[in-house]
Amino acid sequence: MTGRAPEPSDVRAELARAAAWLAEGGRSPDSRAATSDLSMDEALLLHSIGWEPIELVFGVSVTSIQVGVWTWGMGELTSPSDAHNLAVEHASNRLGQECAAVGGHGVVGVRVDLEIHPRHVDVALVGTAVRPVAKTSHPPGRPFVSDLSARDFVLLSNSGWEPLGLAFGASFVYAPRRNASTAIRQSSQNVELTNLTQALYAARETAMERMQASGIRLGAQGVVGVQVEEGPMRFARHVIGFTARGTAVRLGADGHRHIRPELVLPLDDAVVQFEAESLRAQG
Amino acid sequence: MTGPTDVPEAAPRRLESGSFSSGLTVPDFAACLQMGLRPVGLVQGFCAMQWGWYGAGSPYLRGTSPFGFSGGGGGGYMQNWYCPHGFVGGEHRTWGQNYEQTWVEEAWLSGFNAAFGRMIEEAEEVGAHGVIGVTDTSHNLADMRVAEFHVLGTAVVVEGAPPPPKGLPWSTYLAGQRLAKLLEAGFMPISVVATIASVRVWAYCITEYLMEGGAYAWGQSLSSTTEIEQVSEARLAARALARDHARRQLGTDTLQGITFSATEREVGAGDQVVECTLRGTRVRRFKDFDPIPPPRPTVRLS
Repeated sequence: MTGRAPEPSDVRAELARAAAWLAEGGRSPDSRAATSDLSMDEALLLHSIGWEPIELVFGVSVTSIQVGVWTWGMGELTSPSDAHNLAVEHASNRLGQECAAVGGHGVVGVRVDLEIHPRHVDVALVGTAVRPVAKTSHPPGRPFVSDLSARDFVLLSNSGWEPLGLAFGASFVYAPRRNASTAIRQSSQNVELTNLTQALYAARETAMERMQASGIRLGAQGVVGVQVEEGPMRFARHVIGFTARGTAVRLGADGHRHIRPELVLPLDDAVVQFEAESLRAQG
Repeated sequence: MTGPTDVPEAAPRRLESGSFSSGLTVPDFAACLQMGLRPVGLVQGFCAMQWGWYGAGSPYLRGTSPFGFSGGGGGGYMQNWYCPHGFVGGEHRTWGQNYEQTWVEEAWLSGFNAAFGRMIEEAEEVGAHGVIGVTDTSHNLADMRVAEFHVLGTAVVVEGAPPPPKGLPWSTYLAGQRLAKLLEAGFMPISVVATIASVRVWAYCITEYLMEGGAYAWGQSLSSTTEIEQVSEARLAARALARDHARRQLGTDTLQGITFSATEREVGAGDQVVECTLRGTRVRRFKDFDPIPPPRPTVRLS
């Protein structure tokens, strides 16, 4: 991954050339339109490994939650986590179908918008379908879906790993209550609330276990870029929700490739800041 | 598009005052000078637009069977949903429909295009080749159903270049370093593109029950967790429509750096309006594909 050193380009000359080309009619060598929400940096990085963006694609799913599940109770609420998993799975499948329809090999930089409402779970995914420029390989039967940025996708690809899909899991638990006498007895003590610790600990582990299980179903060896979000539901403060998601990955056929980064020692000094306050401090 | 009288009298006076104005940050300003772009003026366009109440399926026509209209949503996307229960009662929603609110989209596009056209007109006034660093906003004014569109950018001249085709300046949301990278990658900006898609969900009984938390509706064997298909389809359709509206403006060009946003507004039990906006810069390749060398990973020692 060393490559030749990039040659400095004359942007002024490029702009003059492009403006003259446009004035003469500006005929494009491209034969088909493309849409992409990648930044120019990300598009260039993809090009550097021989991939290109082709289409902005979407996946959406709204699933229902039965009325009454958020009322007080004990243990885990299974209905919201089922609704979460179903919504993410359907949205991810639709994203993959849109990608396959335009000839993409996968979707990168997927933005996940997840909202849990009292009666339904809304999931919306948006990302850019990508494919190799050379088109030497056929699109895979099931395009990959990854919430990694294009930069991370390039790094992963250069390391010999390939993304497979979104791995996800969720768990919702009631904040366990103490009985009245225990609460009064503990009110003036420094004490660990073991029932709460255990419940939250178990819920976190459950969400991550489900995420890993969904990765295994995709044939993954691991999950990278895991994000765990947690907190009480805004409409039911006695319920704490945990969601975990990441990109399921597996080692490519050529095995792991070591990336040997170059060490860089910046020679610039730290900037000395002028502080107006120091003048007054003298007095 | 706009006519020559659209730009207020003060605009030419400001633009001919002998000094330039620019909405660029200092780094973007410096980068543009480096590229051979000379800012000549801050250009802008406005349009206050009133939304019409009319149109097939507008809220004022609620209660009229959508099957009575040919094509339902004014010739756009439409999908029907049928109640499985048969006749139950007068208030039972025996039909449902998702339809594209084409009149809403037309109003929004009219407002945006008018404001954009006026900005381009100002840029033509100062003999610009292009408009960079474009920003656009739309917000509701105090009055109901009135929105103001504002499009703003910095008109620039490319030193020593021939005038653009038909004298019409190109435009881009990019400026400074990001614009330089676009050129280095072999793309020339053509125009900013902004589109909207609006889809109205008119829920049928099953959607209404599920959105309200009902799982077992009128003997239906629905599991406790199920997808609300009508709403999912509407939201997916709105997104795809916004993208497809943009695609129709592209020819064989690329829409780069898209920013996408979606809002859902509930307007009744199960009923909602889904609106998606999409913005990006239409770019065209002016030189053959030439990928940059693979980047070299580095680790900083400080």
